[in-house]
Amino acid sequence: MSELKFLSPINAEQLTTLNGALTLTDVGAATKILVRAGSETTAATYLSTSFGCSREIIDGVLVCGTRPDEWTLYAAPEMANEVIGTIPEEGFVTVLDITHGRAMIRISGSCSSLALAKVCNIDFADDMIPDGAVFSAAVAGVSCDLIRNDQTEGRSYLLTCERSFGRYLFVALADAGIEFGFDPPEGWTLH
Amino acid sequence: MTSCNRLPERDGEIINRSECLTFTWNGRTYSGFSGDTIASALAADGVDVFSRGMKYHRRRGILSADHWDPNLLVQVGDEPNVRAGHRRLTDGMSVSAQNVWPSLRLDLGSLNQIVGRFLSAGFYYKTFMRPKFMRPLYQKILSRFAPGGRVYWENSSHDIYDKRYSHPDVLVAGGGPAGMAAALAAADKGASVMLVEHEYQLGGHLLWGCSSDRMTAAVLESSVRDHRNIEILVNSTVTGRYDHNWVSVIDRSHPEFPERLIRARAGSLVVAPGLLERPYIFAGNDLPGVMLSGAVRRLINLWAVKPGQRAVILSANSQGDETIADLRDAGVEIVAELDARKGGTIIAAQGRGRVSKVTLGDGRTVNADLLVVATGWTAPTSLLNMAGDRPVYDPIAARYFPVSLPNEVLATGGIVGDGSIEELVEHGKSTGDLAANRALRLRHKRRKSLIWANNPDHPAPDEIPDNRSQLLRSPHPECYRSTTHGMVDMSEDVSSKDLMQAATEGFDSIELMKRYTTVTMGSAQGKLETVNAAAVLAESHDVPLADIGTTVWRPPFAPVTLGALAGRIHEPIRRSALQDWHEAHDATPLLAGLWIRPDHYGDAYSEAENVRSNVGIIDVTPLGKLDLRGPDVPKLLELVYVNRWQKLEIGRVRYGTMVAEDGVVLDDGVTGRLSSDHWLMTTTSSGAGAVWEMLEDWLQTAHPEWNVHVTPVTGGLTSINVAGPKSRTLLERLVTGIDLSSEAFPYFSVRKGTVASVDNCIIWRIGFTGELSYELHVPSGFAIHVWETLLEVGADLGISPFGVEAQRILRLEKGHYIVGQDTDGLTKAPSVGLDSLVKLDKADTLGLPELRAAYARNDLPVLVSLQPVDGSIVPDEACQIVAEDSNKILGRITSSRMSPTLGRSICLGQVHPTFAISGTIVTVLLVDGSRIPVTVMENHAHVDPEGERQRV
Repeated sequence: MSELKFLSPINAEQLTTLNGALTLTDVGAATKILVRAGSETTAATYLSTSFGCSREIIDGVLVCGTRPDEWTLYAAPEMANEVIGTIPEEGFVTVLDITHGRAMIRISGSCSSLALAKVCNIDFADDMIPDGAVFSAAVAGVSCDLIRNDQTEGRSYLLTCERSFGRYLFVALADAGIEFGFDPPEGWTLH
Repeated sequence: MTSCNRLPERDGEIINRSECLTFTWNGRTYSGFSGDTIASALAADGVDVFSRGMKYHRRRGILSADHWDPNLLVQVGDEPNVRAGHRRLTDGMSVSAQNVWPSLRLDLGSLNQIVGRFLSAGFYYKTFMRPKFMRPLYQKILSRFAPGGRVYWENSSHDIYDKRYSHPDVLVAGGGPAGMAAALAAADKGASVMLVEHEYQLGGHLLWGCSSDRMTAAVLESSVRDHRNIEILVNSTVTGRYDHNWVSVIDRSHPEFPERLIRARAGSLVVAPGLLERPYIFAGNDLPGVMLSGAVRRLINLWAVKPGQRAVILSANSQGDETIADLRDAGVEIVAELDARKGGTIIAAQGRGRVSKVTLGDGRTVNADLLVVATGWTAPTSLLNMAGDRPVYDPIAARYFPVSLPNEVLATGGIVGDGSIEELVEHGKSTGDLAANRALRLRHKRRKSLIWANNPDHPAPDEIPDNRSQLLRSPHPECYRSTTHGMVDMSEDVSSKDLMQAATEGFDSIELMKRYTTVTMGSAQGKLETVNAAAVLAESHDVPLADIGTTVWRPPFAPVTLGALAGRIHEPIRRSALQDWHEAHDATPLLAGLWIRPDHYGDAYSEAENVRSNVGIIDVTPLGKLDLRGPDVPKLLELVYVNRWQKLEIGRVRYGTMVAEDGVVLDDGVTGRLSSDHWLMTTTSSGAGAVWEMLEDWLQTAHPEWNVHVTPVTGGLTSINVAGPKSRTLLERLVTGIDLSSEAFPYFSVRKGTVASVDNCIIWRIGFTGELSYELHVPSGFAIHVWETLLEVGADLGISPFGVEAQRILRLEKGHYIVGQDTDGLTKAPSVGLDSLVKLDKADTLGLPELRAAYARNDLPVLVSLQPVDGSIVPDEACQIVAEDSNKILGRITSSRMSPTLGRSICLGQVHPTFAISGTIVTVLLVDGSRIPVTVMENHAHVDPEGERQRV
């Protein structure tokens, strides 16, 4: 019998440059919860994160104001029930587990903004996209939500997109990173 | 080969004499040094002739010794049209002349000179017009004379080109003294700066100037390189400026890519390209040995190449005067110095392989192998033109100057005036200050308006006025043409005589003349010839040059390879969670829209037959899926579908069709009600995005008061269609908690449950194949587990996967139409047989007025099923249905396949309503021109029209 385990749409090993200036990681297994609620709802009050911003709430759950009256919550894998359970449901509120519906990639390192600049027409300067910023943009032609989510090691971005684009997006980012020292496996480049 | 013209080591030379490079020119081995261009290395080795003219195939040598030199286009390996005046020499390079036959030395194309009088401007418009039927032949022959190098379509070696984006506050186009000063000043103000220089080194004309000039350049360059706010791109060109300061830059300096297109959004653009030297028009001005003064100075001072032995020089400016000093310093004998400011001129140059005699304005003829002209400057205002400026000619300075620039574009350096190095630097600095001020104010505004940006904690910089001291315009004689005729455009072999003839023929506008004569349309793209062409036109009309105007300079400023424009192509591909499995099992891929799908696993007919007899599974994930939540979902569905939705019970499914506001069928699918406020809508694969946008559009604009949340869940739910008479048996082994019997789970129902231990699956009893079938929507992270479990558990039932092709066969047998294939952009609801579905009495539905109008008509095409009388013939899709005795079009075949169930060909097609009656024989015109009779059938379904198989 086939094994019942979550499979990410990307399902790739982490790529990193020798100097550590760029790392690309498939984090598709992360729990992803979509919340849509009017600003007058208790859910909105609870999430308390404005559009374009992100903040970490209890136990490492990252709340992102992805669109007006819309939030996406990211947490460690297999935490959907716990995260959903914390969200007040009074009023017209939609809470949807979109873990299976989105691919998620983390790109980190001092060269990460340079690599992203090869595939995304956004000004990644620190004052335009500071740590915590949340925005949407086309990355290599794929509509993505992006989060500047710096780690202790430094600059880092999370990208999520519709699941079916995940593999392509990872390949496009891996391809963009070749200039900085990535050595993707055969078949994991655009050319 | 000895470097016969190489001078002893000189201060300021940019060649590295310790690194010798070997290359071939037309098969013969030569050598040069690192830092040489192809042209400088060949010139050092005594080569005079580099190319032949396009039309008359006259010999051509160095003219400007830079990127714009029209005479220095060569083939390097399999790369055509390489600019030998710019491209640096590399070891092992294979360089050859292009557009010559059989050789550069003996080119039979030069016979055109004999018939030159018949090849004047526009000759092909006059000559090759009649007879009309000969035009294809003319075209074929003329194309053989097209200039340019050889393109190796089949086996060219090409590298990977690249693209990137950039958002500098200030982008400076031009790395001369003014450009560098502007970059430094802007960077000092805190602006991020991108400095782009066309040549390989910063410094502009200072590089071939005196030691003091070179020192100034070195100091500026050092400061620029040390500044952390400045990104320097040399051997790169700003090729275009577009709206909102979108600036394209071609970067040729990257170590890994031959060219990279940088798409920069600049806060301010500083245009500092300097000036280009323009040629002088006289008889023989295209002979090898006739050079611009800048070319001579570069050859001597940058590459230590002696450009000739005996020189005549015509000078109208200080650069010409400095060239005389350089020539003397290089050991060139000056046989005549002519000062154009005092009326000096050249009448003609003569020679065979190279100039040998020069006739001066006073009538004297002197022997010389080098004729240097320094007769004026062209302001390369292209980027300013692209910013909306229309530069105006100043007869005192004999060149054009910018007039009116948008706030975010500034100009500095020679393009705006003349001055000492200090004055140019000072102007550059004040321009950089201004550019930074404007850019930083814009950045401040953006940071305040972007919700995710760092809201600045300081006010915007105060606006500083543009109080730059203006650079003066030095007087310069208007030197354009001598008393004789010569070449104006050496790229296109257009002479001043041609231009005057065109003017006489009535092409008296510079734009018309350009198109008629092709002047300025060659490789130099007007950089050297635009002003001279306008001057000749002005002369022919006897009007001031200022009244002539100029041609409009459009992007790109410099030629760009197609590779750079294409770059890395981002064409997203969508993959279902099962695509890895499909590929591992040798599925033939099919690209359907953005999705890659399994077309078949080897034999589509067998796959289809297995569905009819056993059970098959197909990955239908691309099916659009929208999660709808809220109490007002029925109102939304009533609005967008042509049928009714208010009373659909929980657990039931309904088919719906959407039409656009013009009544044309837009999309279709089934929607199921999972709970009172939770629905799941399916759409066509290709229509998913458009339908989502449409729903959001109506919700956000027309009905914001409705409580509905729409969430696309296409990729999150992997869709597996389980079809075939044994499908229920199979699912009963894997589905828990749901009674799958026909009574408990009838056709067009939906349930939530567990499949193969995977929770939160949605199970639909619907189908597209005409068989008993179920559609499983499973969380995609577990899709592969469910898929493999189905195959494992169903092995004894004869299960096998089937692909898109088998599905198409099966649905055609069943007569289901596909929106976009069996309908088109004109197909309205009555055409596809939706009569019972469409509710014209609804209060409101998108396209309702058009639907009512459509149902009042009786002339709309009708979708019918068709069967060729000869069942072995499968008409191609899109074959026309025509009248029996003519080619009058009555309709078309929209779908066709060989049916494995019926053993004959079957079709769907749209026909004129007169021929839509069952039993009518219509004629189909096949691709090979033959005609076959085809019968219109009674029902859309060729197989099981009563639907007994799917309702068991």
